[in-house]
Amino acid sequence: MKKTFVENFLAGSYSFLLHILILALFVIGMDFSSTPRKLANSDDVEIVQATVLDQSLVEEEVAKLEAFEKKEREAEAERQRQVDEKLEEARKALEQKEQEAQDMEQRAKLEQERRRQEAEKEQQQIAELEKQREKEEQRKQKAEQERIAAEKKRQAEEEARLQAEQKRKAEEAAKAKAEAERREQEAAKAKAEAERKAEEARKRQAEEEAKRAEEAKRKAEEQRKQAEEAQRKAEEDRKRAEAEARRKAAEADLQRQLEQEQQERDARRVQGVVDQYSLIIQQRVKRFWTRPSNSEAGLQCTVRVTLLPGGDVKNVTIVKSSGNSVFDRSAENAVYKAAPLPQPSDAKAAEALRDFQFIFKPE
Amino acid sequence: MLRGWLKTIALLIALLPWPAHALLTIEITGGSEAALPIAIVPFGTEGFAPPEDLSEIVSNDLASSGRFAPLEKRDLISQPHESEQVNFADWRLLRSEGLLIGKVSSQDGENYQVQFQLFDVYKAEQLVGKRYQVPASGLRNLGHQIADIVYETLTGEKGVFSTRLAFVSEMKNADGSKRYALQVSDADGANPRTVLQSTQPILSPNWAPDGEQLTYVSFENGKAEVYVQQLSSGRRNSVASFEGLNTAPAWSPDGKKLALTLSKNGNPEIYVMELASGNLSRVTHNSQAIDTEAVWMPSGREILFTSDRGGRPQIYRVDASGGRAERVTFEGGYNASADISPDGRMMSMVHSVNGRFHIAVQDLQTGTVQVLTDTTGDESPSFAPNGRMILYATEQKGRGILAAVSVDGRIKQRLGESGSAVREPAWSPFRN
Repeated sequence: MKKTFVENFLAGSYSFLLHILILALFVIGMDFSSTPRKLANSDDVEIVQATVLDQSLVEEEVAKLEAFEKKEREAEAERQRQVDEKLEEARKALEQKEQEAQDMEQRAKLEQERRRQEAEKEQQQIAELEKQREKEEQRKQKAEQERIAAEKKRQAEEEARLQAEQKRKAEEAAKAKAEAERREQEAAKAKAEAERKAEEARKRQAEEEAKRAEEAKRKAEEQRKQAEEAQRKAEEDRKRAEAEARRKAAEADLQRQLEQEQQERDARRVQGVVDQYSLIIQQRVKRFWTRPSNSEAGLQCTVRVTLLPGGDVKNVTIVKSSGNSVFDRSAENAVYKAAPLPQPSDAKAAEALRDFQFIFKPE
Repeated sequence: MLRGWLKTIALLIALLPWPAHALLTIEITGGSEAALPIAIVPFGTEGFAPPEDLSEIVSNDLASSGRFAPLEKRDLISQPHESEQVNFADWRLLRSEGLLIGKVSSQDGENYQVQFQLFDVYKAEQLVGKRYQVPASGLRNLGHQIADIVYETLTGEKGVFSTRLAFVSEMKNADGSKRYALQVSDADGANPRTVLQSTQPILSPNWAPDGEQLTYVSFENGKAEVYVQQLSSGRRNSVASFEGLNTAPAWSPDGKKLALTLSKNGNPEIYVMELASGNLSRVTHNSQAIDTEAVWMPSGREILFTSDRGGRPQIYRVDASGGRAERVTFEGGYNASADISPDGRMMSMVHSVNGRFHIAVQDLQTGTVQVLTDTTGDESPSFAPNGRMILYATEQKGRGILAAVSVDGRIKQRLGESGSAVREPAWSPFRN
């Protein structure tokens, strides 16, 4: 009997310790270290790159979170598995005990009874423990759900915040772009304005110039007209004067013409006589010219002759020497030897033959 | 407006001081190359009468040149002897181109003072005038010198009247034998002086360029040998007496060498001898032909000679240092005895026409040949140093005489009145 009790007591102590142990294991398996990671300070990031950087950060963050969750879930599953094992062990131990108890019942009805009572009690305790475990499980599940919900909420918030940030940045970029566009437009507008003004100025200047040119032209035209007028007037005056002069000179002209014709007739006659006597003189001088027998073909000398009335030679001078003194002298001597040179009786013709020149050349 | 301007311009032109007429110019071409009329007044004499008539010598010289026509003495209006006596108008009437007057005076009949003046009649100015003092024996030569001065003054060319002629005279002794004389005369053939006499033939006299020496061939030793003789001293020596022929010597223009014909190697060939050393260099190498009668071109670089290498005698040209000879004459079947004018342009030679030998000239640039003489048996042509005349020997009534012809063939004259037969003449160079 006494042994049964001890055995019962020992069995009950085992069960109790086991439960305490399981509980302690649950408590240790809890992990409260997960805290949200702070993201990079977005203020330092350039606006233009914001979207890309943020997106990657977010993704990284989400991935981290997911990895963390997975890890936690795995840990939890492990814990659950260990608890289940222990529970199984406990159940197996219990079954063993019940078997022992049944054995003992066989040995002792009292003991049986007590054991039954104890078993009931133990079953109660087990049920209680089960209940407690279920409760604990529920609480844990609830806490997990709450944590997930909180995490989701945090994620949503973070996402929202990031979206908001992105939105803000996009807005800012859009704003900057809009600003740049605005400025461009303004610059274009200013340029267009300047061009328009320049064009206007040009137009104005061209108009002014055209106006000036027109003015100048008009003035020139005026002057030309005036000049033409003056010229026309002068021309008229001159014509009148000329006509007058012509009228007055007509008779004088006629008289002069008659005289001139007479002179020309005389000149022709004199020229004829001069030509005739030139030929006679030439023949005579040629006859008297004895040139040096060795004279070169290119020799030539020019001799100027002045005659006395009657044809005697007054003077003979070499105007252009042949370069050969013997040749030059032969030319001079030819003139002297030909003297007196034949002279016409016509006084005017004779006058023309007083001063002339000879050119002597061998051929 | 324009018409107004034109009127103004026309008016200006009308007002320009134009000459009454441009100077009349009469051109005289042709003329003649006739002889120049010149008045040569017989020179006045004072004291002893000179043995020579100087004005006559001058007049003959000038006339012989064919370039002057001295006035007939009877046409001389007056006879001035000094410039103060000249009335130029008189001489103008005579159309004379020059007037020569002069005076000869002597106190002793041995030494004579001579003066002359040549005037340009038309300009009434003296062209040239000189005074001389000469012995009686120098009067003739002085006459030639005065003729040279007048000639050069009026023609612009040097006269050759005071140059000399060398020639060989052949005389007959009473017994019918012959003697030979190498003689030198005045340019007119007068006044011959014998410089060498021999009973054996003398040939081919040739003047040294200085006019002081002669080279010739003498047979005095029984064979043809070449001698060189100093005229002033009469000193002579044999320069070539090689075996065989030693003949036809010709003095080089620089006077240092002789070209001559030697047959010492069997055949007559042309050689050049250096007179100072006697060194010989052979010029021709033609054993089939006779090469002879060498004559130098004025440059002294080439020699012309006669050769029958073509079958008949013709003139060839060869470098004085030897080499290939080229034929120069192609007209006629016989051309020999070449001489070259001082300017190197003309060659004179003996040229046969219908078997008769005449003197001809060939223009060495154009090759044109002109026969100058109508005499026959002409030989040994020799140019005057001024190149105007060619001296040669010809035959008259079977006897050799000297004659001269102008290079244009227009003037022909006989020189000298020697009683002997003359051959082989050579005209001297100018007197220095």
